[in-house]
Amino acid sequence: MEQFDKIIIGAGLYGLYSAMFCARKGQHIIVLECDPSPFRRATYINQARVHQGYHYPRSISTAMKSAGYFERFNKDYAFCINKEFDQIYATSSQYSWSDGKQFKEFCKAAGIPCEELYPGNYFKKGMCDGVFRTREYTYDAMILKDYFLDELAKHPTEVQIKYGINITGIEKHPDAYVINTAEGIFYKSGFVLNATYAGTNQILDMVGFEKFGIKYELCEIILCDVNEKLKNIGFTVMDGPFFSIMPFGKTGFHSLTSVTFTPHTTSYDGVPTFSCQEKSNGYCSAFHLGNCNDCPAKPVTAFPYMANMARKYMLDDYSFEYRTSLFSMKPILMSSEIDDSRPTVIRKYSDGPTFLGVLSGKINTVYDLDEVLSDGE
Amino acid sequence: MANREKNFASAVVYVHNAEKRIKKFLKMLIGVMEENFEHSEIICVNDSSTDESQKAIKSASTTATTTSVSVVNMSYFHGLELSINAGVDLSIGDFVFEFDNTNLDFDPAVIMEIYRHSLKGYDIVSASPEKKERFSSKLFYHVFAHYSDMQYKMTTESFRVLSRRVINRISSMNKTVPYRKAIYANCGLKTDNIRYKVVSGDGDSMDGQEKSYRSGLAVDSLILFTEMGYSFAKTMTILMMVMSLLMIVYSVVIYVTSTPVAGWTTTILFLSVAFFGLFGILTIIIKYLQLLVDLVFKRKYYSFEGIEKLTK
Repeated sequence: MEQFDKIIIGAGLYGLYSAMFCARKGQHIIVLECDPSPFRRATYINQARVHQGYHYPRSISTAMKSAGYFERFNKDYAFCINKEFDQIYATSSQYSWSDGKQFKEFCKAAGIPCEELYPGNYFKKGMCDGVFRTREYTYDAMILKDYFLDELAKHPTEVQIKYGINITGIEKHPDAYVINTAEGIFYKSGFVLNATYAGTNQILDMVGFEKFGIKYELCEIILCDVNEKLKNIGFTVMDGPFFSIMPFGKTGFHSLTSVTFTPHTTSYDGVPTFSCQEKSNGYCSAFHLGNCNDCPAKPVTAFPYMANMARKYMLDDYSFEYRTSLFSMKPILMSSEIDDSRPTVIRKYSDGPTFLGVLSGKINTVYDLDEVLSDGE
Repeated sequence: MANREKNFASAVVYVHNAEKRIKKFLKMLIGVMEENFEHSEIICVNDSSTDESQKAIKSASTTATTTSVSVVNMSYFHGLELSINAGVDLSIGDFVFEFDNTNLDFDPAVIMEIYRHSLKGYDIVSASPEKKERFSSKLFYHVFAHYSDMQYKMTTESFRVLSRRVINRISSMNKTVPYRKAIYANCGLKTDNIRYKVVSGDGDSMDGQEKSYRSGLAVDSLILFTEMGYSFAKTMTILMMVMSLLMIVYSVVIYVTSTPVAGWTTTILFLSVAFFGLFGILTIIIKYLQLLVDLVFKRKYYSFEGIEKLTK
């Protein structure tokens, strides 16, 4: 049985960031990932926003935290950031929880730039009561992945990443945690970081720790080809049952999402339980979540619904066409339902041996990990 | 099944204490939408029902496969007009059906009949039951037609289909819509009405709250959309002003030709002039009020509790 300084479960951004952070200190790290390669789930399959807080007009704490890390993330990972577009935020005239005036005041309070524009230039008459040009970027997860893999390759003695690992159990010993895998290999360490996002409760369940109060949403991000006019614009009609269409990293595609149609099904169970799991031929279960994007039982696209919603708002000059869909599981903290905040929650379950769990809120709050990773040194 | 319509259709259904009817109605509607449209949605506007309507909607929505069913729960009783507006604002369809009640007194085929009729170039096609109108309704529509200048004759309707174009047109008129039928009739796009044979329905289904809402709406609509109130007030003031003028002339004539009791002329002259002025002021006030009515239209006009997505 091999022993490590730290075991990190999950090779998403949070997992690989932690691995790199510790490897640079010369620690002996192993990353356990069930997929065949890193960044195949939430890190890749989301709107790819580098948040500066605009998205959370009812949670100033989330907004200010995102704004704080915004500059740092854009500097550290500038190579994967796409800044070459106008990010337009708008508030819908009907059904929005915030209106144009409130949004403006919120931006002022959070100290983030926003410039008011004339709604008729972008949206159909009467649809939006406030339109703003904002400073928000998009990151390219695949470029970011290559960077992390290259960087980690510089520390071959410190870091190993194991793919296709199926964790079957976790035991707590007096001085360490021992992780059992389906391959019959055991991994031992006095420090375990659970950075699995959607699978987080499944891992916690194996050790018997208290689970996060989350609901699970099976989400669809649609990639679209867009016309010249839409190419350098991102639209987000916000805070209510609306939509967003914006550049997807540096891929040249736009991602199309909508609050009502992006989540296909929802599970309120402690561990994600969905009816499609039965059709996945054992690929996915309430105990081990498969990758929705690779699943044989993934849902039929909701493109017609999302497209109609977008067309209801945007001027007809902006056109887009379906390219492909990406599916992933998104856990949402139940405590965030009211203010729509997305805090990054880090919990310590035990000390010596240490077991940490992180439920990420946003990509740029990854720096929250620095403190806990350096803990006790 | 093979030739389903490519257009996206939305159906907005008004639900108020309809636990007995809603299940049957929704099942029929889900069937029609799924059979005829590739993509569709159904939005039930639950106007603060106090019975088990919401549960009934939930259980009926489980039969949906391709159509998306959602519920808008209104915070308090808003009445038919605002509730339907709330539903239409949420809808994303290219064509939107509005069902004013859940009384299934028509053959489901009529739904597609009005839709196909609208494809012939009508932005609004409504469906009316082929039965004798209630006397009160008849009187209302008669008075309405008399005091307003609309080219389109309004009548009792059960449901209708609207094109996205007409919805955009109405929302860009940027006013609240206290009475949709009047706005629709006034939107300037082509509209038509189809009459259907009444098949056994559940009869009158309105409760007391809805009935009193309806009569209130009738009075409001007459005042807001017709010239009835204003023209009545105008006629009366002009009449009274003319009478005051006559009184002035009369008292002057009496003063010159005969010798009235001391003080009579002054009193009558004062009264006549005062009334003349008073009616003049009233005319101005009425005009002001009419302007205010227009301004009041612009306020935000409904509040909703939440939107629940039940399927897909």
